[in-house]
Amino acid sequence: MNISRRTILKAGLAGLVAPAVAGCNNGAASRGTGEVIYWLWDSAQLPMYTECAKVFHEQNPQYSVKIEQYGWDDYWSKLVTGFISETAPDVFTSHSSRYPLFAAKDQLLPIDEYVAQDNLDLTIYQPRLADRWIGADGKRYGLPKDWDTEVYFYNSALTEAAGISAEQLNSMTWNPQDGGTFEQIVARLTVDSKGRRGDQSGFDKKNVAVYGLGFADAGGSDGQTSWSWYAASNGWKYSEGEPWGTKFFYGDPKFTETIAWWRGLITKGYMPTLAQATSGVDVTTTFGAGKYGMTPNGSWMLGTYAGLKQVKTKLARLPQGPVGKRMSMMNGLADTIWAGTTRPEASWAWVKFLGSKTAQDIVAKAGVVFPAVTESMPAAKAAFAADGWDVTPFLEPVEAGDVFAYPANPNSADVNAVMTPAMESVLAFEKDPSSLAEANDEVNQILSAAS
Amino acid sequence: MTATIKAPPPDRRRSRGDLEARPIRRRSLGDLKVALIFLAPATVGFVVFYIWPTLRGAYLSFTEYSLLSPPEFNGLQNYERMVQDGFFWNALVVTVEYVVINIGLQTVLAVGIAMLMYRLTKSITVRAVVLLPYLVANVVVALVWYWMLDFQIGIVNQFLGWIGIDPIAFFGESVWGIPTIALINVWRHMGYTALLVFAGLQTIPTYVYEAAEVDGSTEMKTFWRITLPLLRPVLVMVLVVTIIGSFQIFDTVAVTTQGGPINATRVIYYYIYERAFTRFDFGYASAMAMVLFALLAIVSLLQLRLLRAKESDLA
Amino acid sequence: MSVATRRRALTPGRTVAWVCLIVLMLLTLFPFYWMLRTALSDNTQLAGNSDSLLPVESTLGAFKRVLGLATVEEAQAQGGSGASVNFWLYLRNSVVVSTVTTVSQVFFSAMAAYAFARLRWPGRDKVFAVFLAALMVPPIFTTLPNFVLIKNLGLLNSFAGIILPAAFMTPFAIFFLRQFFLGISRELEEAAMIDGAGHRRIFFGLIIPMSAAPITTLAILTYINSWNDYFWPLLVGQQENVRVLTVALGIFRSQTPQGSPDWAGLMAATLIAALPMIILFLAFAKRITNSIGFSGIK
Repeated sequence: MNISRRTILKAGLAGLVAPAVAGCNNGAASRGTGEVIYWLWDSAQLPMYTECAKVFHEQNPQYSVKIEQYGWDDYWSKLVTGFISETAPDVFTSHSSRYPLFAAKDQLLPIDEYVAQDNLDLTIYQPRLADRWIGADGKRYGLPKDWDTEVYFYNSALTEAAGISAEQLNSMTWNPQDGGTFEQIVARLTVDSKGRRGDQSGFDKKNVAVYGLGFADAGGSDGQTSWSWYAASNGWKYSEGEPWGTKFFYGDPKFTETIAWWRGLITKGYMPTLAQATSGVDVTTTFGAGKYGMTPNGSWMLGTYAGLKQVKTKLARLPQGPVGKRMSMMNGLADTIWAGTTRPEASWAWVKFLGSKTAQDIVAKAGVVFPAVTESMPAAKAAFAADGWDVTPFLEPVEAGDVFAYPANPNSADVNAVMTPAMESVLAFEKDPSSLAEANDEVNQILSAAS
Repeated sequence: MTATIKAPPPDRRRSRGDLEARPIRRRSLGDLKVALIFLAPATVGFVVFYIWPTLRGAYLSFTEYSLLSPPEFNGLQNYERMVQDGFFWNALVVTVEYVVINIGLQTVLAVGIAMLMYRLTKSITVRAVVLLPYLVANVVVALVWYWMLDFQIGIVNQFLGWIGIDPIAFFGESVWGIPTIALINVWRHMGYTALLVFAGLQTIPTYVYEAAEVDGSTEMKTFWRITLPLLRPVLVMVLVVTIIGSFQIFDTVAVTTQGGPINATRVIYYYIYERAFTRFDFGYASAMAMVLFALLAIVSLLQLRLLRAKESDLA
Repeated sequence: MSVATRRRALTPGRTVAWVCLIVLMLLTLFPFYWMLRTALSDNTQLAGNSDSLLPVESTLGAFKRVLGLATVEEAQAQGGSGASVNFWLYLRNSVVVSTVTTVSQVFFSAMAAYAFARLRWPGRDKVFAVFLAALMVPPIFTTLPNFVLIKNLGLLNSFAGIILPAAFMTPFAIFFLRQFFLGISRELEEAAMIDGAGHRRIFFGLIIPMSAAPITTLAILTYINSWNDYFWPLLVGQQENVRVLTVALGIFRSQTPQGSPDWAGLMAATLIAALPMIILFLAFAKRITNSIGFSGIK
């Protein structure tokens, strides 16, 4: 018995100690002092950033970059785990909806000093883009890498069948009362199961085969790809002091009348119900199946739409609203440095490189996103043209300056937690658009409690 | 709990039954020394990877903790907030709805499948097929069904169309959300649960069935009077384990509805996760997790009591 | 089982039972057929041919992508991702992780279950209740502290780090085995005692062989769970040399917020990842049935 007891104990101890010892060789300590760990989420962009890292290493032999890629959902959980356990990457791709909170919690390294010390020219970027990364505290947290706006992606076979020309599609007007020519086009694109169009008599809105307008969801607090441009072109602003809102305006009549009109398309049968729209994989797949005439979406989705081989997709401008302009949200990503990095110099060198024309030319040529550096744009335009896209509708609002920012806020997760169900209740016709005033009060309460 | 899950004391020398007369070799300590050795490795894992994190979590439930700055003690504030939090109560109701549908259906189907595997066919292919869904990770299972149940292009709605039924917005309609998610997980777990029940069925000695047959008992009668009662210890274990697992439903919701439409599928664990990692309200999330923990403990205790998991009626 | 064998005649009851079984089988199998159909389809053609019961523009492209045989350009042209896949390495890593986890977890849990089921010591049932309570611990409590611990032990990106938290026990394994150990009759144990056998011999020579069926069942389930585990190995073992299959194949899921998964690739990946499990199950399924042996002992 004694022997066996000891054997078991020994075995147990050995089992505990052996892997611990073996593991020491594999620790994070083994990486070189010039090696920067860089994270991104879009696997489609992995090849071009790998190329960037190669060029960066050639130009700066003392530094090297190790790229790790995780899908969107895993990315943020792994990043937060990294912050807590001091294992976050030195540099990572950041999003306007997330960075304000990270900055508020001191997880991001301000780069103002580096920018000043290197005399960095921030005018090489698209106007206003660089300043998106100045936080609520006035410090700069990143250099922009790309940008995006929204347009309508339309199924050109369906628009031709409806007798709608590209000119008509690109000169749509909109207002919250009758929806303007935009609504007329959407109605015409809608076809019921008997082949009658939405603007024809006898149209059966209960049995629709093709909806004129598809949508992904109720839009939450930003409505980026669902309602943001209607509201903005109706003269509405998200908040006081955009983008660092201290008081939101979801109860504003300009907003509620926009939403009331928007959900009215469901009543008219031109747009699927919220239940139908959200019960399935995603809006692009349904579009690819030829069930939607057009769907609004962001420029980062160009690759996905290009992959829908059974529909011929083209782009149309957003409609001109009551303010007399076409307005689009302009958002973008940036590379940020983790405050806990042990190699800030190398990290800065990499961020600076990614923000340079050299790197952004590489990004531009891949034709996946629009580079933040203005001079790299022609290369991107050419790359998209080679894929059959005329991306002009994305660029026009930027050139005209008719863009507005993503409603960045350190409390955006809390705001979204209120606004997502509130918007869904309205779109599902469980509550009236006027109920958004209550949601707005709740949002403002959260903001005042946090500040 | 002690009264309900007592095992027959294994006696070293005598046949069971004469507990009183047992000579106590190591006095009241019994087999303690041996037990300590047998328990040592499991205890290490238990203390390091379960007890300590739980105690830490319990402490954090009394703090305000944003994950990215140090926790600050705030007494019972999180628990007080919870009482006022409509989302929390909604999440509880939704979760219970899920558990009832999920466990109810799954248990009935699993016992049925186990009986079929036991009485109908010994085919290993059948057994393999039954376990197949469990071989697929639950996130992927959720995605596959999300794809198959799509409103416009899902094959299930195509089928419904062919037989003349209007398509159903399985994930978009509030009334369908929870039943759909519950059924997806029934599909994944029924074979696995059946296998556990099947393992239990095999511990029932054949002579019991032979005796029943001699008595002229029908298949149904045998099932209700003999199989089910004798299956009880395993069935209780299966129920306790599956109900606890069911309460912690998360992945399927995260992959498909993300709590919507409106709040129809915002189950408790999804809400906890949202609070902890999206809204960085870890203290509050911990408090809710503590309540969930307590709730599960009560439910399991009740189950073990009600079903007298003690031992099989044979013993 | 002899009872069942004698009742082979196809009574109405048995016919109904067969019909039920067949329906259940079909419900179980159809999604797998759909996975196969999708895996063999061209990703870019899927959306428009949703009502086709056969593969759309059938191709082995998805399987090639999963096995890492396609170049990045090919993969992207088929709607896949730009990340490379080193399939055989990840397969090896998965086998290492799942095998070590299963062997050690089942063995240590069996030891503990023996102490709870067959030994008599003060406080036993109370201690068991505490172990059982661990079943209810919400994972949000354990993930972060365990990650920090593994990191402090210097075990990030090592097999040990991936395996350790599950290597000693799970409450389920102990609970499961305890319930079965309870059912074993004591006569044999007593006979062994009289022959002078110690607890070690009873455990190894009697309890384990007699519980072959439940232990095999548990081992298979543990193996599957370990094989399918995603989030923990994602946190702890991202390096190529320890990356397991599930983590690596996560690349076929949606990578961007509004993006779609690479459906064909995801389905192919799922089927390929499940294949070793099916083989494992078929290899061990016979053992699960062999438990009938000990019903005669009672």
